[in-house]
Amino acid sequence: MIWFYQNPLIFPWGMDEKAAQDLLHERSFIGRSMHSTLLANERDPEIRFDTKKQIAAFTSQICEVIVGKAEAVKLAVACLLARGHLLIEDIPGVGKTTLSQALARSLGLVFQRIQFTSDLLPADILGNSIFDRNEQRFVFHQGPLFSQVVLIDEVNRATAKTQSALLEAMEEHQISADGVTYELPQPFFVIATQNPQYQVGTFPLPESQLDRFLMRIELGVPDRASERAMLLGMDRREMLKELNPVFGAGTLLEIQAKVRTIHTSSALLDYLQDLLEASRQRHRTGLSPRAGLALLHASQAWAMMNGRDMVLPEDIQAVGTAVMAHRLGHDIEQSGESGRTFADTLLKSVPVP
Amino acid sequence: MKTLRKKDTRVPRRPLLWLAAALLFTLPPMFGTLPSWVPLLFLIALAAKFWMEPKGYRLRSLIWKLVFVALILSLLFFSYGSLRGMEPGVSLIVLLTSVKILEAHTAREFHIMIMVAWILCLCGFFLSQNLAIALCLLIAFALLLVALIQFHRGLSSAFWPPIRIAAKLLAQAVPLIILLFLFFPRINTGLRFQIAPQRGASAGFSDRLSPGSVAVLANSSAAAFRAEFPDGKIPPLSAMYWRGVVMWHGEGLEWKAPAGPAALPRTSQGPPRGEAIRQWITIEPHDAHWMFALDWPVNSPSGAVLAPGNYLWSNQPIHKPRRYEVTSYPEIPNNRLHSREREPLLQVPASISPAARALAQSWATEKPNPRAIVNKALEFFRTQGFHYSFSPGQYGKNDLDEFLFHRRLGFCEHYAASFATLMRLAGIPARVVTGYLGGEYNEIGHFFLVRQADAHAWCEVWFPDSGWERVDPTAVVAPDRVNLGVNFFLERRAATGQLDNTQSAFARQLARWPIFGRARLGWQTLSYAWDTRVLSFDGDEQASFFASLGMAGHRPIFFIVGTLSFATALLTLYAGWTHLRTRPGGNRVKIMYETFCRKAARLGASRNPSEGPLDFSVRATRLLPNESERIRRIANTYIALRYAPAPDPMMLEQFAKEVNAFVRAS
Repeated sequence: MIWFYQNPLIFPWGMDEKAAQDLLHERSFIGRSMHSTLLANERDPEIRFDTKKQIAAFTSQICEVIVGKAEAVKLAVACLLARGHLLIEDIPGVGKTTLSQALARSLGLVFQRIQFTSDLLPADILGNSIFDRNEQRFVFHQGPLFSQVVLIDEVNRATAKTQSALLEAMEEHQISADGVTYELPQPFFVIATQNPQYQVGTFPLPESQLDRFLMRIELGVPDRASERAMLLGMDRREMLKELNPVFGAGTLLEIQAKVRTIHTSSALLDYLQDLLEASRQRHRTGLSPRAGLALLHASQAWAMMNGRDMVLPEDIQAVGTAVMAHRLGHDIEQSGESGRTFADTLLKSVPVP
Repeated sequence: MKTLRKKDTRVPRRPLLWLAAALLFTLPPMFGTLPSWVPLLFLIALAAKFWMEPKGYRLRSLIWKLVFVALILSLLFFSYGSLRGMEPGVSLIVLLTSVKILEAHTAREFHIMIMVAWILCLCGFFLSQNLAIALCLLIAFALLLVALIQFHRGLSSAFWPPIRIAAKLLAQAVPLIILLFLFFPRINTGLRFQIAPQRGASAGFSDRLSPGSVAVLANSSAAAFRAEFPDGKIPPLSAMYWRGVVMWHGEGLEWKAPAGPAALPRTSQGPPRGEAIRQWITIEPHDAHWMFALDWPVNSPSGAVLAPGNYLWSNQPIHKPRRYEVTSYPEIPNNRLHSREREPLLQVPASISPAARALAQSWATEKPNPRAIVNKALEFFRTQGFHYSFSPGQYGKNDLDEFLFHRRLGFCEHYAASFATLMRLAGIPARVVTGYLGGEYNEIGHFFLVRQADAHAWCEVWFPDSGWERVDPTAVVAPDRVNLGVNFFLERRAATGQLDNTQSAFARQLARWPIFGRARLGWQTLSYAWDTRVLSFDGDEQASFFASLGMAGHRPIFFIVGTLSFATALLTLYAGWTHLRTRPGGNRVKIMYETFCRKAARLGASRNPSEGPLDFSVRATRLLPNESERIRRIANTYIALRYAPAPDPMMLEQFAKEVNAFVRAS
């Protein structure tokens, strides 16, 4: 069992669901108490920061930590705002974990980190029922998934069994254990990192699992200038500790709700459907309807981040590769083509109607 | 009642100004056709309103209103003797409108005024239908539209939008107007109808030729008729004798035409000689039977006969413009003259003085040959100090003697009448022909405009060897009149101060300016087209139009129902089309955007098919920095139309304009 809390406010187990929710709310509140302005805004819904500015502040705070990866950071934020889960894939040491931690901290939410290993069991992440002698009954002890932001490191090191235990949690935002269904707290956001599949000791994520991730982003090695800045700068871990939460749960939920109201005109949906259709023609399986929804929601979030109240084809194109590539990685007919290149050609060849 | 009045609101100033302008434009047809005090009162009422409005005065008292109405009714009654008929009716409407102007105050009354003004437009057409009036009333109509639109836009101070909307509405009405004009069954009067005949002496000559009867026409610039030569064979101006009436009955200087001639028997004519000249003649209404044709017409258009003496005689008086085709030949030999016919041609009144008789006799005895006698007589006119004058003055009782032997001052009718009388006295059959000589060629419309001023009288004498021949004694006295046309003659006269008509002299001076001359010719052409193509499109023309479409023989109700249902279908289609067109997100936005992309590609910035509008605009502004502002605007409008929630339909027009302007500007 290798999970531990990064958050100084440790979440007490063995609470009932309602109390846990309340506490979560309270904690997220306390966590931000040092920011009086934000606090005031949170209390008074009439005074709100402009959503775009807020998101920009959030993004730039993360960019301070992850130098030279603005595009990836923006995509990660879009994924978060679109209520999707994020998969970060890259070789070790490029800042995957740092990015996910920066995200989690800047959100000011209850945060858990789970390191996946090959011997991890589903109960380790979901929770156990343990017999309470005082009360003479089994009490469910919630696992680390009962959190608002869950960072899963090296998700592809766990066995398929544990991986699929994540499925329900990610998709339904609930956990079933011993015949009881437990609601997960809101918002619920999974950030998973994985190593490329050619690395030793990995269990490739099944397609169904991959489909649950709204986006997969890659960080890549920073360019020379960014690397120099990193080498000269503060220790990343110190920086992470100094990060202050920008959003609260309430604000985030509000923004997430707002994202879904971003207008998608029929012309845009035409384009989206053209993309889906083209993927199905050129690929053995193509994009699933869920992928279509994912693309829609991600582009809505992207549009909102750009301060627009409508989605443009450009928004779909901006998030397209991140949303589509990992879904098209398998079964590519032409050898030598990865999901990423396939998605790129798809976006470059389907005309905007 | 009180509550009603309270509900009505005051009308803003601008729609009122538009309405006033429209009312002014309904005035021109009233001048000249109604007693002049009627439009004057109307103008005074309008001016009074302008004075009263800012002060808040208006006609409130019921008693005063009643007094005004009674006054109007009695004035009209005294002026016309009756209130029945078109003109008293129109006058009544105009005057009651004047009172309404003084009274009107509320928004409701503003609407009433607009409706009344529309009726005034209609009345204007009752009074006159010429092109200038039609244009005036069209302007009035448009101004009324503008006034209504401005009224409904409330206090918006924009000047052009209402005008633009009105112009658009009128343009949209054009297809319907054309449809109804062509197909709606016409009562057989054409568009032009005259309620009461009102033309007097100014509208041409009468069936009598007396000293001064042609000269009074010389200053009238009114059109008599217009002639076209469809075959392009145009006779020289000096030979352009438009034959009107042949007068057989002579009494010295007074000649008379037969009241109602019988048709010329076909057998009495020899075969025509020379080149046939075909003419299309559009005659102005003159309420008489004359129809004009070049010397000598050989056939008669339908509804007319060729009278003895080879002139055209309409069966019905000509009350509206009429267009007909006639063919003339320069010569018709007719050397048979029965003694029965010959006798009246030699008749002279007994009152002719011995001096005149002696003069004619002296020629006859001196020269036995008729041609020699004619030449002798022309010689007499040329050498004995005769002068051509527009104002020869009044001749007394013994006018022939006075003219021949004393004053020797005359206009064409004097010469023609005296010459014919002298010929008869000398034993040569002679008659007087009246008509027109020459005309003004319109090089834009390629037609001749013959005015009343071109009226002329000449002689015809009969020679045993060749029959009737034209002899124009005026040509001997004033060759310029014949060779150069009346205008040239009048000009010279005016220049030497012999013609005291400053107004027409001024007009002629203006006509010398090339631009003004061209404009005048253009206007005449338009006016001619209006008369021939629009006004004369009557029941007959319509019937032949239907026949040319293969739809002859249907009852009018067929056309009424057909036209109305076709118009309804047209309007429905148009409504559907505009609905589709103005629905944003529709095809049109896309098509317009593609047009824009094509234009941009021509300038060097072509869009990749997979490029979104925003990306493209960014790239295009970089490629075409000169057009950056426009490209950005187009992209923004396109995005708003295509992708934004609930786009404004008005934006579509804006977008179309931007895209259209894009290539023009670049």
